[in-house]
Amino acid sequence: MPRRLAVVPERCSGCRTCEVVCSMARFGVDNPKKSCVRVVTLYPHPVIRMPVVCRQCGEPKCADGCPTNAISRPNGVVKIDPELCVACLKCVDNCPFGAMMAHEDVETPFNCNLCGGQPQCARVCPKQAILFVPTRILGQDHRLATVLNYAHMKEVEFVEEGEKKRLRYAEVERSRDEN
Amino acid sequence: MKTKGGYFHRILDVDLTTGKAMARPFDDEFALRYVGGRGFGARSVADNLAAHGGRVNPLGPENILVVAPGPLTGTYLPAAGKCSFITMSPATGIYADSSMGGSFCVELRQAGYDALVLRGAAPKLSYLWIDEERVQVVPCPELAGKRCLEAEGAIKEAVGDAAVKVISIGPAGENRVLIACITGDWGRQSGRTGTGAVMGSKNLKAIVVRGGKDLPVADVPKMREIGDRGYATLRAHPLFPLWQEQGLMSVIDYANSMGFLPTRNFRDGHFDEAERMDGFVMKSRYKIGDGACFGCPMCCSNICLVREGKYAGTVVEGPEYETAAMLGPDVGVSDFAAILRSNQLCDELGIDTISAGSLIAAVIEGYETGLLSLDDVDGRPLRWGDADAVHELIAKIARREGIGNTLADGSPGVIKRFPQLKPLLLQVKGLEQSAYDCRCAISMALAYGTSDIGAHHARAWTIAKELEMGRDWSLEKKADLVIYHQTIRPLFDMLGVCRLPWIELGFDERYYAEMFEAVTGVPTKLDDLLARSRAIYDLTRRIAVSHGVSRKDDYPPDRTFDHPVETGPLAGHVLSRADYDRILDIYYAKRGWSPDGIPPAE
Repeated sequence: MPRRLAVVPERCSGCRTCEVVCSMARFGVDNPKKSCVRVVTLYPHPVIRMPVVCRQCGEPKCADGCPTNAISRPNGVVKIDPELCVACLKCVDNCPFGAMMAHEDVETPFNCNLCGGQPQCARVCPKQAILFVPTRILGQDHRLATVLNYAHMKEVEFVEEGEKKRLRYAEVERSRDEN
Repeated sequence: MKTKGGYFHRILDVDLTTGKAMARPFDDEFALRYVGGRGFGARSVADNLAAHGGRVNPLGPENILVVAPGPLTGTYLPAAGKCSFITMSPATGIYADSSMGGSFCVELRQAGYDALVLRGAAPKLSYLWIDEERVQVVPCPELAGKRCLEAEGAIKEAVGDAAVKVISIGPAGENRVLIACITGDWGRQSGRTGTGAVMGSKNLKAIVVRGGKDLPVADVPKMREIGDRGYATLRAHPLFPLWQEQGLMSVIDYANSMGFLPTRNFRDGHFDEAERMDGFVMKSRYKIGDGACFGCPMCCSNICLVREGKYAGTVVEGPEYETAAMLGPDVGVSDFAAILRSNQLCDELGIDTISAGSLIAAVIEGYETGLLSLDDVDGRPLRWGDADAVHELIAKIARREGIGNTLADGSPGVIKRFPQLKPLLLQVKGLEQSAYDCRCAISMALAYGTSDIGAHHARAWTIAKELEMGRDWSLEKKADLVIYHQTIRPLFDMLGVCRLPWIELGFDERYYAEMFEAVTGVPTKLDDLLARSRAIYDLTRRIAVSHGVSRKDDYPPDRTFDHPVETGPLAGHVLSRADYDRILDIYYAKRGWSPDGIPPAE
């Protein structure tokens, strides 16, 4: 079953354990700067901690303009062929998500390879902010948020035992909105 | 023994007066003897003292400030994201260190350094920019007076990289406020003992670092295996979800129900309004996200926002227990939003929350009991629970205005100006006591009394164990407990990791020896590491002794003996001096120190 990595920024604590395990799995070293996933932190306005990782795009923008056609997507995983790559780093610029990485010690740019189907970042994330899920359930969180936001905007009025009452969904909506 | 990892074998030594930087090598013998972090710092501070005839002015250019992560910092072990700041303290006049979590420590190691030694003083306000081999002292007069977060943002912009790691001081540090802290990573602090004032005295507004080197690890597969086990153990702990949810704020409820929550300058141990400002209130009304130090699954930092009311717009990473207790019940404040504002003010102006709360509480009590006149407190009456007055005092401390100028010199400064306040100041060796009342637990009193930096809980936190299991233990056993804490907890500061997984979630201490072995490639037992930690404790004690510290300075605050807890489950509790003298005798004997508290020569 094809799966993808999904990120839930609201849950991320910014601990960067994902970066440590990624660099170990990918390069056999402890070096967060060689990780294919990077946690970006903004503070205090707004407060956001968000892991950025390759989305394995169906039409990878990183491949656009690769002068040697080194980037392909076998089995749904975007891959750079090290034999063809000339390390011009154009792909690093071209990825709209900033998910193509480079490091001076590594010969070619690098991106997430899903650890051969068992992504270590998703395995260790202590907050379940990185998930490895079937493609078809992606967007579920946002669908839920859409429904809750709608419910909140409406503010239900009702009558109970002759008394007029109002029901609001403020608590639920708030956590989505302000994180 | 030869190490195969754990160290770059390089200490970056920067003379801020000349702007010259040099990477000093060290050998394996030094590495293994002093381990790292606080160990490296204590050795450097002792050597620097020796080079200056045994004395330095803590605020003079001759003092050094050592910033030291440890060999495990940044490794795959839960909560391996801390570094220590080691110096001669301007607040206490003796050896001091304070630790900070976050990511700065990992970045410093990735720049290829095991520690950073700062000496001299920059000719004008500057920041230090460490980009691996390229080290520069950059003048930044435009940052004068900027709050920590503002400064951090401005520097990231100036160097053109939002991912660099920054630590900075606020106006308090610039003004040499002796309780000034250093803030890093948007809200982590090296809080205690005035490390921020030392940075200020060196005209150093901030340190910026960027690095991309592999961390030296001898056996990565072994490290992965140990880490996997370690993280799984923590995740399986029944209290793990509560930690993620509340962090240290869960201690408010616990401390209050046990009866040792500092209330109105430690007169009481029970706060009637605690349920208005505990972890549940924070979670349900103020918390908007989790924050964690590097590699830590416990994410004990609570990012809070005040949405409405007088303090709307306050955003702060925190508070944790100490801050909430000292700026809450200890000054009589129960409005959680007001506590958040106090927390934010302290963080951004760059003041230690524990010392600030403690000193403000003493002044409120002083005014309330008539020991201080209206004139003494700048014409504004002070009352318990007056949050606006607390905020005003915090700002005045940072700016050294009015009575704030006196509080800015810490307990010793207050005693000098207002000798009548001495019994109201909860301090040991000039450092204000942390937020645990020790009248109910003599081991905690001993911990405060004998802590090498002054009355701080980080060296030994034995109160829970004594109250839950050891009320009837012999004084021998209680002294053993304190010494064990004072040995293992500083070890965490030497390794560059956090103590919380161990103390709060029962993380087995053997993990640290196992990981040290995997990282350095040197066969190591926990006892080996503990022996090195103990040697450092003796070293820091020797520094204190050379500055006149002896038995007379190893007593907890007077209130511990002469003011019984007023209400709550521990009402009436007070310690006897005779008992304390006995446990102190036992403690010295067990440490091999003389009855006057003097350790043998090195």
